Amino acid sequence: MANVNNKLHVIYGDATLGLTGDHFHYLFSYERGGLESLVQNGKEWLYRVPKPQFWRATTDNDRGNHFSQKSATWLAADMFSHCINFNVSVDGQPIELPIAPLNNKYTNNEFADQVEIQFTYQTATVPTTTVDINYLVTASGKIQISANYHGNADLPELPAFGLQLVMPTAATGFTYQGLSGETYPDRMNGATFGEHHIAGMPVTPYMVPQECGMHMQTDWVTITRDQTLNNTDQSRNPFSLTIKNHDAPFAFSCLPYTAEELENATHIEELPVVRRTVLCILGAVRGVGGIDSWGADVIKRFHISAAHDLNFSFEIAKPVINE
Amino acid sequence: MEPAIEWLDDPTVFRVGQLPAHSDHHYFRSKDEVTSHTSSFQQSLDGQWQFNCATNPMNRITHFYEPQFNSDNFDQIKVPEHIEMAGYSQIHYINTLYAWEGKIYRRPAYALGDDDQQAGSFSQGLDNQVGQYLKRFDLNPAMLNQAISVCFEGVEKAMYVWLNGHFLGYAEDSFTPSKFDLTPYIKPKDNVLAVEVFKHSTASYLEDQDFFQFFGIFRSVHLDAKPAVHLDDLNIKPRVAADNTAGFLNIVLKLIGQNYAGATVKFAIMDHEHNKLAVQTKLATANVAADQMEFNHVHLWSHIDPYLYHLEITIKDASGNTLEIVPYDFGFRRIEIKDKVMLLNNQRLILNGTNRHEWSCKTGRCITKQDMLNDLQTFHDLNINADRTSHYPNQIPWYYLCDQQGIYVMAETNLETHGTWQKMGVDEPSYNVPGSLSKWLPAIMDRAQNNYELLKNHPSILFWSLGNESFAGDDLAAMNKYYKTVDPSRLVHYEGVFHNTEYRDRISDVESRMYDSPTAIAKYLSNNPDKPFLNCEYMHDMGNSIGGMQDYDALFDQFEMYQGGFIWDFMDQAIMVTDEVTGKPALRYGGDFDDRHSDYEFSGDGLLFADHTPKPATQEVAYYYGKRE
Repeated sequence: MANVNNKLHVIYGDATLGLTGDHFHYLFSYERGGLESLVQNGKEWLYRVPKPQFWRATTDNDRGNHFSQKSATWLAADMFSHCINFNVSVDGQPIELPIAPLNNKYTNNEFADQVEIQFTYQTATVPTTTVDINYLVTASGKIQISANYHGNADLPELPAFGLQLVMPTAATGFTYQGLSGETYPDRMNGATFGEHHIAGMPVTPYMVPQECGMHMQTDWVTITRDQTLNNTDQSRNPFSLTIKNHDAPFAFSCLPYTAEELENATHIEELPVVRRTVLCILGAVRGVGGIDSWGADVIKRFHISAAHDLNFSFEIAKPVINE
Repeated sequence: MEPAIEWLDDPTVFRVGQLPAHSDHHYFRSKDEVTSHTSSFQQSLDGQWQFNCATNPMNRITHFYEPQFNSDNFDQIKVPEHIEMAGYSQIHYINTLYAWEGKIYRRPAYALGDDDQQAGSFSQGLDNQVGQYLKRFDLNPAMLNQAISVCFEGVEKAMYVWLNGHFLGYAEDSFTPSKFDLTPYIKPKDNVLAVEVFKHSTASYLEDQDFFQFFGIFRSVHLDAKPAVHLDDLNIKPRVAADNTAGFLNIVLKLIGQNYAGATVKFAIMDHEHNKLAVQTKLATANVAADQMEFNHVHLWSHIDPYLYHLEITIKDASGNTLEIVPYDFGFRRIEIKDKVMLLNNQRLILNGTNRHEWSCKTGRCITKQDMLNDLQTFHDLNINADRTSHYPNQIPWYYLCDQQGIYVMAETNLETHGTWQKMGVDEPSYNVPGSLSKWLPAIMDRAQNNYELLKNHPSILFWSLGNESFAGDDLAAMNKYYKTVDPSRLVHYEGVFHNTEYRDRISDVESRMYDSPTAIAKYLSNNPDKPFLNCEYMHDMGNSIGGMQDYDALFDQFEMYQGGFIWDFMDQAIMVTDEVTGKPALRYGGDFDDRHSDYEFSGDGLLFADHTPKPATQEVAYYYGKRE
C-alpha cells in the first residue's frame, strides 16, 4: 500500500492496531498489551511485546547489603506485571477503543498524521502501582516512547526503571554515542564520551553472572542484526534499528539475556546459548556501590526512590531507506 | 638431632636447624655471570620429584627419607606446584574460618589456658595430609668442594628435611625462604633430598589469609654453593639529608668464611649510567662496614622517577682472585611523617594502591616472573603506584621489579589469624592468637625477622606491615617495636589495632582502616586526628563494583592527612578447569570442588578477572589514580 500524502495508514484490526507507511509496519496488540510487531524494511524487530523493566541481576554488592531481599518485589514486577488498560488517540483526539463491533465503521483506507497508543501496566507488587507506556507514531515511522512510573511511598527502592525490548535473533553488534565501557551512575567519570562500536553482545564475565553492560548518558544506539526468523528470508545482509534520545540521554544495555536469566546462573557457562537480543532502555539506574560487599549501601544519591514518579522518553528512529 | 612429629602441635617450635634469615642478594663468580644474571653458585632443583601423599600423619611412610628406601611406588610431582593442583588433595576456598571448620574441633594451643597444649591436634590430625617428596641429584661440577646449602623459597605449611638420611631441620613460615646447610652430608653424586610437608601445623593458625587453602612446595628449590669467603648478609643504608639533596650511604656486611687471611672486600658505587662515584676496599672479616659515603646531590627514587644507584661488592682472596661479586641496585628516598602527614622526599605521599595476592588461574599462588611482569604492566596501565603484598611476603623478584618500576610497597609479614577473633563478621577474640600469649610470640617475631632481613634493601618498601587481621595484643606491639628498632628509616603499618584500641599508641604509625565509608573517614579526619590516614583495603571490587570512587578521591582535597590507599584487590582468585559438561575452559571458585565449608565467590574481588583481563571498572580506577599521580 502506497503512502498516500505522507500519512500513516491505520488498520483498525479486531485485536491489533496496524500502522504502516514507507518501509515500516507496526502492530499494537490489545491482546498482548503492547507493541507486538515492529517491522522496518521488511525485518521484524520484536519477539515479544516490550514490558516495563524493574529488575537488574543481583550484583555481589546488592547481595551483600541485602538490597535484593529488600526490593525483591520488583523481581516479580519485572516478570509478571500485566497490561490493564490501553487507549488510542488519532491526530491528537482520543477515540473510543476501536474494537469490534466499533471498528466496523472503518475501511482499509484510513489515514492519519499521527497515532498515539498508551498501555497501562499494573505492577506485580504489594501494594501495586501503575506504569504507562505511551507510543506516539508519526507518518515517517518514527515512534516516540515515553514511560511513566507512578510513585508509591509504600514500595521499596527500585533496582532500575526502563523498557525491555526482546529481539528475535542475536545482534551482531551495536554502535552508540555515549560513554565508553561499562558505566553506572556512581561509576562513569572514567569514561570517555564518543561513538563506540561493540562487536556482538559481550556479557561481562563476573565470576557469578550479574548485572552488567550498562551504558549511561547515551544519545543514540544502533543495533545491527543479520538474521530473522522469517522462513522466507534467508538473507544474511546486516540491518539496523536506531534508538535516539528524546529530551535527555538514556541508559541502555544490550545483552543476549534477561535479568532473570543472569540472576539464575552461578557461572557464566550455565547461561544458555546466545539466541536473542535483550535491549533495555532505561530512564533510571541504581548505582553499583563499592565501599564493601557485605553491607555498605550504595551512596544515597545513586538510589532510586519508589515514592516519586519516574518519567523518561526516547525515540525509535524512522526506517533508514537505502534507495 | 631427631625430628619430632609433636612439633606440629607446638607453637614454640617453628624453626629447627635453619640458617638465619639474611638479605636477598644474588652473588656471582665473574663479571660475565653478573651480566648474564646466571650464577654457577646456584643449582636449581625444580622439576620432577618423586612423591607420595598420605591421608594423615598416621598413614605416612615413616622411613621414606632413608637412602635405602625403595621409592619405586612413588608418583611424580612437579616442583614447584600446589599438591591440590596436582590432584592429591581437595581444592578448598574458605576465608575467615579455618579449613577444618565443622570437621575437626580445634583450639590454638595455650589460647584458653597456660597448660592447654592441645597435644596431638595436628600430629594426629585426621585432616592433616602429608606430602612426601624425594629428589635425587648430582652436584653440578661448579658446585663441588664448597659449602652447600639448600633453599626452599616457599613451602606450605610445615616441613621436615633430610639429606642422604640425615635430618637437617624443620621449617614453618611458608612465604619466606627456608635454608639448611647440606655441607656435612652432601656427596658429588647420588644425593637424596627428602622433604615431608604437612598441610597443617600451629602455623595454620598464623596463615589464615583469605585464599585457596594449598599445601606443598609451591616456590622454587635450589642449592647454593659458597666460596671460601662469602657475603651472607648485606645491609645497605642510604639516607637522604633533611635538605632533600645530599645523601649518605652506609653499608654493613656479614661474611662467612673458613679463612679470611688476606681476603678483601671492595665496594664500588655507580650511578644509573654506570659512572663510578665511590670505591672502597676493606679487609674481609666476619663483620665489615664501609666508611660512610657522602654525596652532595643524590638523584631521588620515586614512582615517577625510580632512579637506582648500583652497588657492586667484590670479594677477593689473598692472591687477588675474585671469590664472588654481589651486585645490588639501591635507591635514595626518604619516607617520614612530618606534621602528621606522610611525606616521601618531602612531598605528600599519595597512595594509588592495590592489594595483590600472587595468583594465576592455572597455577594458583605458584607464579612465574612473566606473571609478575604482566601484573606490573597492568599497574602502569591503571596508574597504580602502590602494592600491599597481601598478606605475606611475595616471591623475591617482585621486590626487585617494584624497585625498578617505582612501585611503593607495603611489605606485609606472613601473619593472619582472622578466624581466632572474628566469626560470622563479629569480633569475638576469646581464643585469639597471638594476642598477648608468650608461647606464640617467638613464632611471630621470627616471621617479622624473616620479612625484614630478607627484604631490607629494597627502596620500594616504604612500610613494614605487621600482618593482616590478627587483632592486637602485646605480641603485635612487640613486633611493632622490633621493626621500629631494626629499621627506623621506614614506617610501620597495622590495621588490626583498630579492633583493640588499647594498643593504639604502641602499634602502627598510621591510622589504617578497612572499608570505611568516605563519610566515616571525613569524620576521623575532621576530629583533630593524631595519625595520618590510609585505607589498607577499600573499594571492595567484588563482581560489578567500584561505584562511588569519586567520594574517596574528594577526600584528598579536603584533608592533607588523607593519603589514599589500596583497593581490594588486584585479581579475582578463581581456578581454570575444563568444564565437565562442555569440555571448554571454565573459571571455578569456592564450593565448585565440593569443598565445604566455603566462602564461595568471595575470592572474586579483583580489578582483573582471574584470567588477567581487566574488569570494566578499571577505566574508573585508571581515571582517578591518573588524576592523583
